[in-house]
Amino acid sequence: MSLEEQELAELKSKIGRDPTSTELQIVAAEWSEHCSYKSSKRHLKMLPMDGPLVINEKGYDSGVLDVGDGYVVTAHIESHNHPSAVEPYGGAATGVGGVIRDILSAGTRPIAIFDGLRFGDIETDLQARWLFKNAVTGIADYGNCLGIPTIGGEVEFDECYKNYALVDVAALGFGKKENLIKNHAKKDDIVVLMGGSTGRDGIGGSQFASDSLESEDRSAVQIPDPFIEKLIIEAVLQARNDGLIHAMKDLGGGGLSCAISETADALDIGIEMDVDKVHTRESDMTPDEIMVSESQERMLIVTSKIKLKKLEEICKKFRIGCSVIGLVKFDNQVHIKKGEKTVANLSADVVANATLLDLPSKEPSYLKTIEDEQKFKPISDYSALMMKLLASPNIASKIWVYGQYDHEVGIRTVVKPGTDASVLRLDNGKYLSAKIDGNPKQCYINPREGAIGCFEEACRNVVCTGAKPIGMLDHLQFGNPKDPEIFWTFLESLKGLTDFAKFFKIPCVGGKVSLYNETPTGSIKPTPVIGVIGLIDKKPSVPQKISQDDCLLIIGDTKNELGGSEYFEYIHKFVGGKCPTVNFEDSKKHMTSVLDIIDKNLIKSAHDCSKGGLAVAVSEICMTNQIGCKVSLDKVPGEKLDVDRILFSESHSRYLLSFDKKNISMIEEILKKNKVSFEQIGQFGGNQIQFTNASKLIIDLDLKKAHEIWLHALPNLVLHGKKSV
Amino acid sequence: MTIFQVNVTIENKPGISDPEGQTILNDLVLKGTHKTVSNIKTAKMLKFTIQENDKKSAQSKVQEICDELRIYNPMVSIVTIDVFEN
Repeated sequence: MSLEEQELAELKSKIGRDPTSTELQIVAAEWSEHCSYKSSKRHLKMLPMDGPLVINEKGYDSGVLDVGDGYVVTAHIESHNHPSAVEPYGGAATGVGGVIRDILSAGTRPIAIFDGLRFGDIETDLQARWLFKNAVTGIADYGNCLGIPTIGGEVEFDECYKNYALVDVAALGFGKKENLIKNHAKKDDIVVLMGGSTGRDGIGGSQFASDSLESEDRSAVQIPDPFIEKLIIEAVLQARNDGLIHAMKDLGGGGLSCAISETADALDIGIEMDVDKVHTRESDMTPDEIMVSESQERMLIVTSKIKLKKLEEICKKFRIGCSVIGLVKFDNQVHIKKGEKTVANLSADVVANATLLDLPSKEPSYLKTIEDEQKFKPISDYSALMMKLLASPNIASKIWVYGQYDHEVGIRTVVKPGTDASVLRLDNGKYLSAKIDGNPKQCYINPREGAIGCFEEACRNVVCTGAKPIGMLDHLQFGNPKDPEIFWTFLESLKGLTDFAKFFKIPCVGGKVSLYNETPTGSIKPTPVIGVIGLIDKKPSVPQKISQDDCLLIIGDTKNELGGSEYFEYIHKFVGGKCPTVNFEDSKKHMTSVLDIIDKNLIKSAHDCSKGGLAVAVSEICMTNQIGCKVSLDKVPGEKLDVDRILFSESHSRYLLSFDKKNISMIEEILKKNKVSFEQIGQFGGNQIQFTNASKLIIDLDLKKAHEIWLHALPNLVLHGKKSV
Repeated sequence: MTIFQVNVTIENKPGISDPEGQTILNDLVLKGTHKTVSNIKTAKMLKFTIQENDKKSAQSKVQEICDELRIYNPMVSIVTIDVFEN
């Protein structure tokens, strides 16, 4: 672990002397990209972070939203990409653990976990299959042991993640507003380290996450222990109830170095700590190792001497380690001692605030020609093509994944995974809906529009449950920021998200930037993942069973936007074309209309149109409801397009509504009033999924057969290496 | 060709934590009267029965199988291979 040359010079000039070895380790950890956000921080300020529901307090690791009646919801997103690429089971599991502790550190109970997973092409790449299988098991084992439901997420496969893994974890917390930890410190307060013991695992992890992954330098492995995490959750919540916590921070990347210096900096205090007081797993650890160890399941707590006894009793009751490691001072210094000997003494401000970079950016040259389309051979058999798409890893049912997660523990889950977004019941009678979405294929073709698309898709998903979006989490994952072309894609995505967030007044309540995501074959595609949290005041739209003669209506125009679509990339193996763009005005009109229709209880279910386009979205509705449908493509609103474009274009702002035909006039009235483009395109019934164009049958699928393929394609591939079509 | 019994022990590398072993130590063994125990590590053992020419090729064949099929993750674990003649 080391600092760059100019950073070392800067440190020397700031402290006016040569740093000690421990000081070097602390600063190297804290100034790493992972902890300091030095490349991105300057730009992240553009995102709107305030709103009427947002509660801002110093030192929070998660965003806090007021959901009324004295209750708050907390949210955070993190990734564990580098560790998961090396050890998928432990990496993914400890990723869950980290984000859970961020939720906990605000003083709220974690109530839900979401996972976004991305790997290489599992059809051909055995390593990708191994990573995928083990990451899913890691998440399942950890989340299930904690008794926190994993209620949503997404899984995607793309060549660009060859030999790599993106494991994003988001979590939601819930609690009473009065129980939020108001981070502060008083004179003579003490600093306590609670939880698992400190060992040599994960040494240099944050630095590791800030370098490109070289084949051999893969030392940062962390072993998950969900049972300790569960005990920490209960111990912390009890300590919170008893008012024993003045300030709290979880130990994540950078270990004690970051937790101590960031706490000191955020609270404007100094901390003097003794490494000999830290409970360690091995007896011969050096101060440097103790300071940067990233052993999991640890929390830093500031409390008073009087309250310590009670805190120790709680830790004893839950059988977790608890050691007093330091004192609060008011000199703003991070003072690390080993016994009586000082090993580091630095100003907290210097350690916690790395000099922010202003990196150059340049439009990537590949973008100049990316929108040019190739000519493809005409499709002779759309039914066969459809079966192939339904079996493709990105479109096939993900039930094999979420079926391994306990998504009902805690009995809050009202709408379960497998639909657009899951819904949780809150104690104040309201409901919470959330979803995370990403789309690297479209973000590669147009980083700005692609990122906006992810944001809108996540909004659409929560809107389909009847929820109004109230907050957003952004997770920006890119390659090496020192490459101006990559940094340009980062800035473009960020600007797009900012514009959308401002237009819709959805504040960004939390986020993470993960850079240096590079594989041996190059950078990953730009992969922003956006989480949207929605609130339902009255009743959520729980999908009802569709029956014979029910109607299917589409809201929104289908446009000539096949760039980055599954159809282009999976069927034609073509990367390029024009990616879908969002018209903000239309998007808003559509959201308001859908929410109004759901509020008036006029539909059986709403489903958004995204990956795979209209054809896949309709098939999904049919398969999950076990009913056929006949769709007329000539009725689909939008400019006149070729059949393949109508079927597979992934244009945004489109919703499919299924409802009893007696409600048609009331639905149409609302849509007309809001000047929304819509059309009734089909009717349910029978056992065939059919698409016709000018009364010619284009696609004719046997419902049972299609369902079979869609449901089993993923496990067949992962477990048996068998392609279904 | 001889039949060999090959035992493969898979355990976490030294220095990497072993929650299972620690739990058995702290919550079971040390709760009794067995104060002389200072550490417990868990491991997984696979017992192969294999037909090979000699001890050495039995060992290398099993090592090869474990590496190729990812029976353990070399980033996290180490394997010890013991060969016995049946």
